[in-house]
Amino acid sequence: MSYWVSVITESGIFAILALGLDMIWGWCGDFDLAFYGYLALGSYMTMVLTIGKPVPPTQYILGLTLPYPLAIVVADVIVVALAAIIGAVALRNLREIYFAITTLGAVSALYLVVEVYTPLFDGYNGLFGLINPGQSALNLTYDGYRDVFMLIVLGILAVTYLVVQRLSSSPFGRMLRAVREDERAASAYGRGIFFAKYRAYLFGAALAGLAGGLFAAYISAFNPSAWTPQELLVIYAAILVGGRGNPRGVIVGVFVVYIGFIELTRYLPSPASRPEFAPAMRQVLIGLLIILMLRFRPSGIFAERAGGGRESRDLAAAKRAEVGADA
Amino acid sequence: MNTFLIDVGIGLATASILALSAVAFTLEYAVSRIANFAHGELLTIGAYAAYSGRVIFHQSIIGAAALAVAAGALAGLVLNAGLIEQFRGRHAITVFIATLGASLIIQNLLMIIYGAADVSYTFGQGSLHHVGPFLWTTSDIEVIVSALVISGLLYLLLQRTKFGKAIRAVAQDRVLAQISGIPARRVVMQTWGLAGAIAGFAGFALAETIGTFGPSLGFSYLLLTITACVAGGIGRPYATLGGALVIGMAVELLGDYTNSAYKLAYGFGLLVILMLLRPNGLFVGRGMVAVRA
Repeated sequence: MSYWVSVITESGIFAILALGLDMIWGWCGDFDLAFYGYLALGSYMTMVLTIGKPVPPTQYILGLTLPYPLAIVVADVIVVALAAIIGAVALRNLREIYFAITTLGAVSALYLVVEVYTPLFDGYNGLFGLINPGQSALNLTYDGYRDVFMLIVLGILAVTYLVVQRLSSSPFGRMLRAVREDERAASAYGRGIFFAKYRAYLFGAALAGLAGGLFAAYISAFNPSAWTPQELLVIYAAILVGGRGNPRGVIVGVFVVYIGFIELTRYLPSPASRPEFAPAMRQVLIGLLIILMLRFRPSGIFAERAGGGRESRDLAAAKRAEVGADA
Repeated sequence: MNTFLIDVGIGLATASILALSAVAFTLEYAVSRIANFAHGELLTIGAYAAYSGRVIFHQSIIGAAALAVAAGALAGLVLNAGLIEQFRGRHAITVFIATLGASLIIQNLLMIIYGAADVSYTFGQGSLHHVGPFLWTTSDIEVIVSALVISGLLYLLLQRTKFGKAIRAVAQDRVLAQISGIPARRVVMQTWGLAGAIAGFAGFALAETIGTFGPSLGFSYLLLTITACVAGGIGRPYATLGGALVIGMAVELLGDYTNSAYKLAYGFGLLVILMLLRPNGLFVGRGMVAVRA
């Protein structure tokens, strides 16, 4: 039973993350490779705000003992501040591959600094010690706490979904898609391109920071190996499977990819002499999944729906009839 | 002994490998109009091929290098036929994401075959030589000389042969080249083979210089490669060589004069700055038309 609790909790956290990423990639069409850095920063900040003073030789900044919910909020504000800098720089003129490469450059530089500069987050070793925040206050057993935490994550996911779904079909959501489809035309209709994209970018990053704060409590430790570029590709794969630009599809995609892959790859042989075999095989399958989805069904299981009346539905049908909704 | 000039010498050795990797990336970009994110894996495949040649088949340094070149070329051909051509006509960013998927697959297949632990095939760095004001190991000299030779050969190939002319034509306009009777598909294929061969050799040289390497060797080198290409101007082979020289030296010197652990971070910082200020390259003056992204 506790196995499923972990799987569902983890999938729920990544679904929140994926909803944020989908706003940037699905709605705005910006392929952001810095995104996992926002989850990482959210995790790191939540840790240093809650786990107290470092014990030498461990080193990290702050070392406060804020209550966990407050720490998540403060951490998220810091995440959004970082996104505000990266977004302001990258979104202004850069698009497509240039945007992707620039965000990757930015996140790789951050990654290196976190790894090498130990006084920040203790370098390679990472942080440890955020264990079941609030367990004693809620007077719960270990397993009871894990159940409650799962329910909290699912509750936050539900609220996030409702907000994102609402935004998706709002004038704001439709404007972002108009900008994605044709920046020049949207601009001619009086839309402010940069600020539209920028707002979505900050909102997406805020969701990543929130997911990071939850993730910190879920695994109670965080270090550089937890946020390699590969982790982000799994999220992109999940969005591709579920349906880019469709919030419901994104959530389904995350649960399908995470649970599907975890379950499928459990049956892979994993000889004691080759512990890397099963995880490596899992990454190979993720890579294949990305390529096959892009090649044969780029719109995913649930295609993005055009909001509103018959006219836009006809338009969407006409679009689908073309070569295929391309990424 | 002037330490600055010694650092410049080391920078030249770094830049030579970078130049080879970058020129291969630029060739791929020139004919297919895509940024190949699996480019780093061509280097890794070259390095592991050389490792197999050395450790399993007991080849000499020449044999190992030849194996790296052959494996790189083969990987380039397979990548083009199996992936890039399948996505022909699709949006550039779609193909880019697909190559990202390919990179994930290749890295992990190599991990399954060779294991996650780092391997090495050192032929020995050789003794130190004073060449003018520089101080190089034998392998540094081998790398620099072979980079010069390969660049020279590439220049002759592109400027003086019919194949080179065809590559340049396809790079300018694939459809028009096709209409003019150039077998564009075959030329693109052969260019990928060529780029793969150069990348394979670069991987061999990189692994030999670093000493130990793992499945992510090329992936971690990719961003520096892209930085060099952007500095020169993506898609323009000769300018890319110049860009690699600038970036290789800059990263090496910045690293030597501050903390060398941040070497790569400087590279990434330079990349971001270049993207913002000179996305078409350092050498694009007035009156020159840059290749559009």
